[in-house]
Amino acid sequence: MALINEFSKLPTVGPKTAARLVFYLLNRPRNEAQALAEAILAVKDRVRLCSICFSITEEDPCPFCTDQRRDATLLCVVAEAKDIFALERTSAYKGRYHVIGGLISPMDGIGPAQLRVKELIERVGSESPQEIILATNPNAEGEATALYLSRLITPLGVSVTRLAYGLPIGGDLDYADEVTLAKAIEGRRAL
Amino acid sequence: MLDFRPQAGLNVLVGQNAQGKSNLLEAICLLGTGKSFRTNRESDLIKSGLDVASASGEATLRAAGTIRLSCTISSTPRGTRKIYTLNGEPVKYAKFLGSAKVVTFVPADLQLVTGPPSLRRHLLNMALSQDQPLYYRNLARYQKVLVQKAALLRGAVAPDPDLVNIYNQTLVETGAAIMLARAHFVSALGREARRVQDQWISDGGALQVQYDANVPFEVATQDAVTAAFEARLRERAEAESARKACLVGPHRDDVMLLLAGASLAAFGSQGQQRTAVLAVKAGEYTVMHDRSAEAPLLLLDDVLSELDPSRARAFMNGIGHYEQAFLTTTVMPPDLRSSALYEVSAAQLKRVA
Ligand SMILES: Nc1ncnc2c1ncn2[C@@H]1O[C@H](COP(=O)(O)OP(=O)(O)OP(=O)(O)O)[C@@H](O)[C@H]1O
Ligand SMILES: [Mg+2]
Ligand SMILES: [Zn+2]
Repeated sequence: MALINEFSKLPTVGPKTAARLVFYLLNRPRNEAQALAEAILAVKDRVRLCSICFSITEEDPCPFCTDQRRDATLLCVVAEAKDIFALERTSAYKGRYHVIGGLISPMDGIGPAQLRVKELIERVGSESPQEIILATNPNAEGEATALYLSRLITPLGVSVTRLAYGLPIGGDLDYADEVTLAKAIEGRRAL
Repeated sequence: MLDFRPQAGLNVLVGQNAQGKSNLLEAICLLGTGKSFRTNRESDLIKSGLDVASASGEATLRAAGTIRLSCTISSTPRGTRKIYTLNGEPVKYAKFLGSAKVVTFVPADLQLVTGPPSLRRHLLNMALSQDQPLYYRNLARYQKVLVQKAALLRGAVAPDPDLVNIYNQTLVETGAAIMLARAHFVSALGREARRVQDQWISDGGALQVQYDANVPFEVATQDAVTAAFEARLRERAEAESARKACLVGPHRDDVMLLLAGASLAAFGSQGQQRTAVLAVKAGEYTVMHDRSAEAPLLLLDDVLSELDPSRARAFMNGIGHYEQAFLTTTVMPPDLRSSALYEVSAAQLKRVA
């Protein structure tokens, strides 16, 4: 069936899940299916990149950039727009964002020039944030990207911070791997 | 599916060619190391025509009691996927590795003296990764970053000295730890290999096993190794960018095997080379055993049958004490004492003694 086919092209969706989605939709009223179809088209037609932070948005500049209640002295750098939504779910961060559009990975043909690094430096100049928070993944590429950006930004006189590495909440010390544990010790804090 | 309940001591699997002996050993190796000793291509481990291969087993350890391990490899449209479990819980490879330690001895190891350096590094990596989880993590990080630096030098993206320095920083951090661990391991390995060889031959000259680090260092301390590595990277920076390759670091390490001071690969007779291989493998087992509360499993694929009976006996004596070993062979070596003998035929197993 065509729809099963289309669904199975999506990330994390296999043929079995695709079939389950299709049978679920078959049992729902027509207007629900229509709402879904329209929402999918709207993503393609109306959603674009914010010209300031490069997050995805239906209006440009995006609400993160225009909302005056957000703290303009904080600028959080993420690899992808989806990382913003992960951070937003925490409600712990109320500053602005910058999406660089990936991580440095020469083996994939991605160097600093392929990312929105120049745009970031320009924003540091024009918006004068006081702190840049580097929120890239704690893997080899995320590390290298964070180090690279920090070497670039620190000379501009802005404080640069990196998300803390830590132990998973609710986890067991016993089960943490040595590297995580070592990083957690390095990043310990007074209570 | 095959159910196998081996005995303590030496389990011998005897059978004609292509009956599945090595395959069974491979399954045990997979449970210990998460890898095969035969191939690096995981898809080769799946039976042709099927899309899943799985091995599961129980190991009884001194420290942890009985643990359950499983490794499942499946082929998906997006490539092969491997899932490891420990006591029924999915775990990361780094956690799985070393749960039940194994030392393997397979026909390819017979090239240990004459073969390329990668064979000798592989021995160090497998032994140390099982012995120290941190070694494995450092190695994995080192290799990842090395691939990125190599791509950068090759010109996959615009040249960027800052980025090279950032990669070098991680290479030094992880590489220094790798070099230190290797230095300690090789010195223990040399001691044991020599002890074993001295038991066999009294007048053949001393066997020496030496760590031939690509970055030489004076003393085996964190600071000295770090400083030496950093200095060498600086010296060779131009050469690296001119030759577009990573020229410095433990990925270019080797282990030198000498007999009476002369290189065994260049000057040893075939008999001397073979004896040295056996001494090093026996030494590897002893070092692994010394470093752990648990006696590693010993997996011997076909190698003893390639040796004359006196060498085979000498090897088993050189190993000294082991708790459980597996040996595959087409002909039962004469006067080898086994705890259990199994006949393997058409992927079936029958205990015969
Ligand atoms: N991925 C695979 N799918 C199906 N069969 C395979 C696969 N890989 C290997 N085989 C086959 O499995 C059979 C058993 O191989 P195995 O290496 O275990 O034999 P063996 O008993 O150790 O023989 P030998 O004494 O020659 O070493 C062989 O016929 C081999 O070709
Ligand atoms: Mg075989
Ligand atoms: Zn924006």
